[in-house]
Amino acid sequence: MNGLANVSRRRFLKASGVAGGGLVVGFTLTGCSSSAPPVVRREGDFVPNAFLQITPENRVRFYCPRDEMGQGVSTGLTTLVAEELDVAPWDVEILWAGVHSDYANPDFGVQGTGGSTSIKAHYRQLRQVGANVRAALLEAAAGQLGRPVAQLSTDSGHVVADGEKLPYGQFVATAAALEAPADAPLKRPSDFKFIGKDFARIDALDKSTGAAEFGIDIDVPGLHHGVVRRCPVAGGTLKSYRDEAARAIRGVTDVVEIGSGVAVVADRYWAARQAAQALEVEWELPSLAGLSTERLRADYRAGLDSDGDVDGERGDLAAGFGQASQVVENEYWAPYLAHAPMEPMNAVVRIEDGEADVWTGCQGIGAAQGLVARYSGLDKSKVRAHNTYLGGGFGRRATLTHVIEATQLAVATQKPIKVLWSREDDIQSGLYRPASLIRIKAGVDDAGRLTAWQAKRVGGNIMPDTLRNMMPALLPGAVGEGAIDWMVGLAHGAFDGWVVDHSSIEGLYEDYDTANREVRHVTVNHGLPLTFWRSVGHSYTAFAKETMMDELAAKAGLDAVEFRLRNTQDKPRLQNVIRVAGERLRQWPRHAGRHLGFAAHSSFKTDVAEIAEVSIEDGAIRVHQVLCVVDCGVAVNPDIVRAQMEGSVMYGLTAALHGELDLENGAIKQSNFHDYPILRMNEAPGVEVVIIDSAEDPTGVGEPGLPPIAPAVANAVFAATGQRLRSLPLRLA
Amino acid sequence: MIEFTLNGAKVRTDDPPDTPLLWAVRDTFKLKGSKYGCGAGLCGACTMHVDGEAVRSCVLPVDSVAGKAVTTIEGLAEPGALHPLQEAWVALSVPQCGYCQPGQIMSAAALLAQNPNANEAEVESAMAGNICRCGCYPRIKEAILSVAGRASAPPLEELASEVAS
Ligand code: FES
Ligand code: FES
Repeated sequence: MNGLANVSRRRFLKASGVAGGGLVVGFTLTGCSSSAPPVVRREGDFVPNAFLQITPENRVRFYCPRDEMGQGVSTGLTTLVAEELDVAPWDVEILWAGVHSDYANPDFGVQGTGGSTSIKAHYRQLRQVGANVRAALLEAAAGQLGRPVAQLSTDSGHVVADGEKLPYGQFVATAAALEAPADAPLKRPSDFKFIGKDFARIDALDKSTGAAEFGIDIDVPGLHHGVVRRCPVAGGTLKSYRDEAARAIRGVTDVVEIGSGVAVVADRYWAARQAAQALEVEWELPSLAGLSTERLRADYRAGLDSDGDVDGERGDLAAGFGQASQVVENEYWAPYLAHAPMEPMNAVVRIEDGEADVWTGCQGIGAAQGLVARYSGLDKSKVRAHNTYLGGGFGRRATLTHVIEATQLAVATQKPIKVLWSREDDIQSGLYRPASLIRIKAGVDDAGRLTAWQAKRVGGNIMPDTLRNMMPALLPGAVGEGAIDWMVGLAHGAFDGWVVDHSSIEGLYEDYDTANREVRHVTVNHGLPLTFWRSVGHSYTAFAKETMMDELAAKAGLDAVEFRLRNTQDKPRLQNVIRVAGERLRQWPRHAGRHLGFAAHSSFKTDVAEIAEVSIEDGAIRVHQVLCVVDCGVAVNPDIVRAQMEGSVMYGLTAALHGELDLENGAIKQSNFHDYPILRMNEAPGVEVVIIDSAEDPTGVGEPGLPPIAPAVANAVFAATGQRLRSLPLRLA
Repeated sequence: MIEFTLNGAKVRTDDPPDTPLLWAVRDTFKLKGSKYGCGAGLCGACTMHVDGEAVRSCVLPVDSVAGKAVTTIEGLAEPGALHPLQEAWVALSVPQCGYCQPGQIMSAAALLAQNPNANEAEVESAMAGNICRCGCYPRIKEAILSVAGRASAPPLEELASEVAS
């Protein structure tokens, strides 16, 4: 990798302004669009598409449509476009796309990043963009050089004619005047120079020098800082407050009531933070205020005994249990979790002369624009939204309450405002991975085949809260808050007794062949705001399903691998990762006192099997080594796939070993990393990743490594202690 | 007025003396590389060096560094050059979101300055105060050990000439 490091080092020294005018070559692939994409260009630029810009000086700029939260999407998408354009990905200058319909996620139809979709959704689209631009440049070169295209080729940002390398920049003026092809042929995979190859991720350098700019780093002249005091119980409202002590702090300029509470504005963050703590506030508490974790669990337990809504039904359950020689029934618990990205939520909003700018690192910059427009009363066309690097996302940065707060404060104070949440705000006033109680009853016959699978999940649903958070951004300002409340109420009703929110039960039943099955959902929702959390429903369903499979295997007298192989006849890709990991399990070097656990799970169209090597030290679970076998189709950047698997294992281990939020009088008890611990280096296992060689189009990478780790560890703990742990986080009796 | 040295330059501030060093550096001196993660000395995102020692700048009042030398990630290497740890970070593609990395590198640099041949256990214990929510730990450890294993770090002039080539 040394040569690659050198490449990046040279990048470091390059000047970073774009000199001269440039050609923006582009193609609208998502249908016609009424406005020009927000591309940085100068007069005379040609702007037929939103993604690429080549200057006469041969600088290639890529407007990255997805949000970089660490998953490596900026390197990955740049690789797709660069592969076909025939430039080195690390020679491309990457800019964050502004808001425009051309930048929609092809899987969602809106500008959002999540669901492990980005590489999968853009795989052909962005390659096509690169191929079309390359074809246009070749055609322009043919015209300028007076030679047929067939006698020309390309190499690293140059047209090659008779062995002579001529920079693309020489041909951009001509190319701009041509009608570019819409469907230039794509490369054969055997011709790939960058896809499927390892190279240092393009953002590694800026992220190692402190130069990478996150939302929290944005500064504008006259910037003031807002810190908000919010009700400790979600849904509570402001009753009264006294601000004498707060206003006495040097630098404080304003104290403002806003929707989420009361905010102090000061010329420095620290002054605003001190002053916000000095406010004396009384809250009108909502019904949630009576809730404790004990009562919540009792309510869930009662929910298990109600019928709920049927989602997946197949075959004849009673007959299936009739064929079983063994029937096992268990309950599984998973608590509320916070995402705790290292960078707490923040946003900068500036409103001046009837126009606004918003800067925030988020998983949907279109939503940021929409929220600023709604809460400032400006038209969306007057709001420029700027993305930054995200200091972690994990689903949390799809909800932008902090953008609303910054907008309200900018409107009220007429000052540019940065709102920054504290870590305590992040853990106590955020949105959560829903808690979940699951019951599974399953039957297995003498041949080790599943004959019946009956599952029920009790808990809240993500979808109504997602609508609550998306609608204000998407709907015109004329649709008031009351109408939005009404629609969200409808959604809550719909997902309780009408249709099942699929994200609540995903992963609970799909992986294994079962002729007879039934899946039910019981909605019990106490009102804590819920949202996507890395791998969503799979984060708790895989734990239930895969620890259950371990128990069933034992009952059937089969080993964990053989039992899964017998029940994945319909799932060849999943079966293959199980087989490959199973091979490694057999050869695993055995150490005294260490025990192995196995688990497999499909999510986001990707199949993963994991092995955890565990010991019990002083009554604590210690994970030494993890093997992760993944089939995600073509690995566009194998090293980033490995990094995502490593990271997902660590994120999942935090949940498996530590993660738990408790409610006391409706408020979250935990507040910072001392009582909401995150896995640290001294607890982190080694992770080996095996990527299955594949020619199929890419599938998800950012999340699928997470679901199998908790059950793999739990199954290893059983091997070590004989204890079946069915509650997260895992605690030995 | 509180005076101290920041990345080699003499600076002074009239920030209230109990202002955490982190916010003085970020808001007053506009150096944004050091990050806020917890504000309670629990995560290491804000790690700087004071007279060569790694400190949690989010819980260190600015007046406590009066007369001392503060180094942030921006001042770790000579301008235009990289610290060997930064080289290793890039070579191994350590960062994911990157937010914790300035703090990780500053903790690692302080460790290696004191113990240039730190072994795995020493690295783990010295780095246990730095959280990486993205879970880059295996690579962070490998990067530090790859530098710790070297007989001696290359002098900066040599690095600079490599960069220029
Ligand atoms: S921000 Fe200082 S230790 Fe977390
Ligand atoms: S790289 Fe994201 S927190 Fe460490």
